[in-house]
Amino acid sequence: MTLAVAGWRHSFSPGYRGGLVLVLLGLCVVFGLVTDHFWSALTFRTLANQLPPLVVAAAGLTLVLIARGIDLSVGSVLALAAAVLGVLTVDHGLPLAAAALVALAVGGLCGAINGVLVARWSIPSFLVTLGMLEIARGSTYLVTASRTSYLGDRVAALGATTPVLGLSVAFIGSLALVGGLQFVLSRTAFGRYVFAVGGNPTALHRCGVRPARVQFAVFTLAGLLAAAAGLCQVGYLQSADPNAAIGMELSAIAAVVIGGTSLLGGRGSVTGTLLGVLVIAVLQTGLAQAGATEPTKRIITGAAILLAVATDVWRRRRSADAVS
Amino acid sequence: MAKLNPREAVLVLFAAVAIAIGCGGESPVDEDAARPRIALIMKSLANEFFETMAEGARAHHEAHADEYDLVVNGTRNESDLARQVALVEQMVASGSDAIVMAPADSKALAPALARAQAAGVVVVNIDNRLDAEVAVEAGLDAPFVGPDNRDGARRVGEVLAERLAPGDQVAIVGGIPTAFNARQRQAGFEDAMNAAGAEIVDVQSGGWEQAQANTVAAAMLREHPELSALLCANDNMALGALAARRQSGRDDVLIVGFDHIEAVAELVVEGEILATADQHADRLAVFGIEAALEILRGETAEDLKTPVDIVTSSG
Repeated sequence: MTLAVAGWRHSFSPGYRGGLVLVLLGLCVVFGLVTDHFWSALTFRTLANQLPPLVVAAAGLTLVLIARGIDLSVGSVLALAAAVLGVLTVDHGLPLAAAALVALAVGGLCGAINGVLVARWSIPSFLVTLGMLEIARGSTYLVTASRTSYLGDRVAALGATTPVLGLSVAFIGSLALVGGLQFVLSRTAFGRYVFAVGGNPTALHRCGVRPARVQFAVFTLAGLLAAAAGLCQVGYLQSADPNAAIGMELSAIAAVVIGGTSLLGGRGSVTGTLLGVLVIAVLQTGLAQAGATEPTKRIITGAAILLAVATDVWRRRRSADAVS
Repeated sequence: MAKLNPREAVLVLFAAVAIAIGCGGESPVDEDAARPRIALIMKSLANEFFETMAEGARAHHEAHADEYDLVVNGTRNESDLARQVALVEQMVASGSDAIVMAPADSKALAPALARAQAAGVVVVNIDNRLDAEVAVEAGLDAPFVGPDNRDGARRVGEVLAERLAPGDQVAIVGGIPTAFNARQRQAGFEDAMNAAGAEIVDVQSGGWEQAQANTVAAAMLREHPELSALLCANDNMALGALAARRQSGRDDVLIVGFDHIEAVAELVVEGEILATADQHADRLAVFGIEAALEILRGETAEDLKTPVDIVTSSG
C-alpha cells in the first residue's frame, strides 16, 4: 500500500536546512565581531544548556503543525508541569521521580484533552488550544498560589551535566528526542500518517486510517513534551516561576516555521525545527551579549521570522512551478 | 429555537468561558447599605506581590467586616490598562464609595479616576504613584499611599556597595522598561552604584521573568569577565541570575534582588543572594483602605510613604 504524500518526500530536501546552517554560522560570525567574548567554549556550552526547554516543546509542536494543527498551549502547559513539580517536591516532600511522573502525566492529560476536542469534535485547534492556554495558566496560578518555588538541589538530577564538554543530560536527551522523532516521521507508517493528515487527509481515509486518531496522538504527544520541557526548565533554573514561558508558544511556532515546517501542514521536519530553535537562541544570546536594547532585540527577532516565512512562500511557489 | 449541534454547543461554551475569564472579579460577601463599599483595583493577581496584597486586604476586611464591604479586582497581566479603566468605571457604576487603586500606568489611569472622583467616589492611589502633572491636568486630587521604589533600590544597592571597590564593574537586569517601578528601581540602583564609584557596564531588561533574566545574566557574565555584581529589579530575575552564576562557575559575582518573595528567603539567609527589599505587600493595600475610610469619615488623608525594609543574611 502506498500513500502519495508530496510533502513527505519534500521534507527530506536538505537544501533549506543547509541554508539554515549557513545562516547560523553567519550569525555567529556577526556576533563574534560585535562582541568581545562570543567565540568561547563557555558561550556555546551555556547556549546548548539553555536550549532543551524550547527544543523539546518545539519538537512536539512540529508534529502538530505538520498535521495542519496548532498548539498555543505549550507555554502554559510547560509552566503548569513545572509548577506541579515544584509544589509536589517542596510543599509535599515527594521524591523527584514521582513528582516528575505526575508532572508529565498532567502535561499528557492537557494534550489529550486538546486532542479529543480537536479530533473527535472537529473544533479548530486554534480555539481549543487557546482555551487550554488559559486553563493551564489559571491552574498554574491555582496550584502555586501565584508564588515561585525554589527547588535548589532537589532537582540536581534534572539539571545534571555530563563529562562531555560540560553539556547537560537534558541537552543530550533533547538531541536524542529530535533524532527519534525525525526517525518516526520519516521512516514509520505513523510518520506518513502525520504528513497525510496535514497534506492529504482523503487519501489517508481511503487507506483505512482514521485521521482523528493521528490528531489525538500528536496533540497528546505535544502536551507530554511541553511538560518534559517544563522539567528541563526547572532542572536548569532550579526554580519554578508561575509566570514562566508566557508567550513561549510564539517562540516555539517561530522556531518551527524558521525550521521549514509549513503553517499550512503536510510539510516539515524535526531536525529543521532544531535548527530553527538554534537560530532563535543564537539571536537571543548574541543580542544579549552585545547589550542590545529591548526594542532592537524585538525588531531583529521579528525580522528573522518574517524572512523565514517569506522564504517558505517562495519555496512553495517554486515547487508549484516545478510541478506545472 | 433551533437546537445546537455538539460543535456549536462547544463554541458557545468556549465563548462563555472566555467571557467569564474576561469579567473575572469577586462580589462582596454580603451587602449592607450602611457600610461603605470599598473597591480595591490592582494589577495582575498572577503576580505574587499583588496576590499577597490582596490577601492582606482580605484579612483586614475579615477583622473589620462590620466597618466596610470589600470588592477585590485584578487584571490578567501587568499592563492591562484598558481592563483597569473598565474596572474603575464598573466600580463607579455599581455604587462603590471608594476606589483604592494600584494603577498599571502612571498617566493613563488619571482621567478615569478623575471622572470617578467627580462622581463623588473617594479615590486613593496606592503602590504606583500617578504622575503629578497629569493628575493636576485631569483634575484629580488623590492621596498616594505606597513605597518609594527608587529609595528602596538605592538602599539595596548600598548594601552591595559596601562589598565593592571604586571602579568595580556591575550590570543591571531591569524589569519591563515601560513599567514605572522598573524605571524607579533602575534609577535607585544607579544612584547607589554611582555614589560608590562602581562602573555600570551593561543594563538590559529581563522582562521580570526567570528564564529571560537567565539568558541576559549569562550573556553579561560572558561578555564582562571582570563583572563583580548583578543588580536585579525583582527576585524572580535574581533567581535567573543565580542559575546563570552557578552555570558559569563565577561564584564570586554578587547578586541582589527586590521584593523578598518566599522563594528567595532561604537564599538570602545563606548569603547566596546578598540583599533584597521587602515592601510589605500584605500591608500596602491595608494602608490604602484605611486612608479611604478616613476620608469617608470626613477626615483628610495625607500622602503616606509605606515602609521598605532591606533584607540581608544578617536580618
